[in-house]
Amino acid sequence: MANSQEKITVYNLADLKNTSDDAIPNYLNSLKFTPSHRLTDVRLALGYSAFALAAACFLWDYKFGFESTKTYTAAAVAVYTALNTFLTFWILYIEKGTIYQGTSPDGQSKIRISSSVKKHVPIYHLTVEAETATKDGMRKEKVVLKQPFTDWFDASGRFVAAPFQTMLATGIPVVGRFDAKRVAASSEGTTAYTPEMLDALASAEVATGTESKKTKRRKA
Amino acid sequence: MLSGLGNPRQAAAQLMNFGLILSTAFMMWKGLSVITDSPSPIVVVLSGSMEPAFQRGDLLLLWNRNVLSETSVGEVVVYNVKDKDIPIVHRVVRKFGTGPDAKLLTKGDNNLSDDTELYARGQDYLVRKDIIGSVVGYLPFVGYVTILLSEHPWLKTVMLGIMGLVVVLQRE
Repeated sequence: MANSQEKITVYNLADLKNTSDDAIPNYLNSLKFTPSHRLTDVRLALGYSAFALAAACFLWDYKFGFESTKTYTAAAVAVYTALNTFLTFWILYIEKGTIYQGTSPDGQSKIRISSSVKKHVPIYHLTVEAETATKDGMRKEKVVLKQPFTDWFDASGRFVAAPFQTMLATGIPVVGRFDAKRVAASSEGTTAYTPEMLDALASAEVATGTESKKTKRRKA
Repeated sequence: MLSGLGNPRQAAAQLMNFGLILSTAFMMWKGLSVITDSPSPIVVVLSGSMEPAFQRGDLLLLWNRNVLSETSVGEVVVYNVKDKDIPIVHRVVRKFGTGPDAKLLTKGDNNLSDDTELYARGQDYLVRKDIIGSVVGYLPFVGYVTILLSEHPWLKTVMLGIMGLVVVLQRE
């Protein structure tokens, strides 16, 4: 989804969040971060084993009837409930909206990013936890970023990578180390992109050239 | 919704969410079956033979355990007859003997005669294991949806169409 030709509806918060969520792994992997899929894999394993159990229960119930199999069915219901409870626990308290987990290219830092939005508020909340190995042990840091989606979506709903990556590189020191050119000067901050610049950047990325561009006026 | 298909893990997760909705519904039904000890703990009344107690379309909740006392005269029970696939909701009116081999006779409150004609050929009475539950609660009218769906099969197509449309239009 991180391709900039694809337009989303700017009024759809889920779209805004999903597109941004998908862009983070793309960006970090392009910086040669190594992603870790442990959280997702555990979730998938839990979910699919629960589903397989229910499917098996359906099959034996269909084939042998209820009376002769009810001990197994009772056990299956208990195990299914346990698996699903654990899955819910895993999603709510272990994953906590994590969208990326990985190791920096030099292997020194482990990073974990989770995102969230509040209902009807177009602001992207990122929580970044990083662990860096230094000579006196592991150094932990936690960064909380809050940015309006308007910073990297233009008025027509195109995702613009440059300001988004600048936001990440500036806000997250571990990422900044590997993408120095994206780190904005501290005085400028990441809000230096005006809507006009977003449009210009988006067109440059799309590179259609012939597209007649209407000037869009919008309060940033 | 389709955007994740490029990423195998995301696609697997979307498929899993859909599967879990189905399997959870199924396992809830099975859980209710296990608790009530009945293969079909919820049934819909299809005929008026139990009026004025139950009407067509009423949803009945069944209980199939004899914890305190055995099934006795006066209880409304749901039973299956061999080689007939539709369960029947009628009241127990006679009982001979005790225990699992007690002979039970049933009759619909609104019928003129007892159920011997409804039983299988040569069968004159029911035993406990023919019964899939005694009625312990009911919801009036709710079951009409399933009656409509089974009597007018085209409604199923319409309903599936509407559900499909909602899924397509509502992306999350």
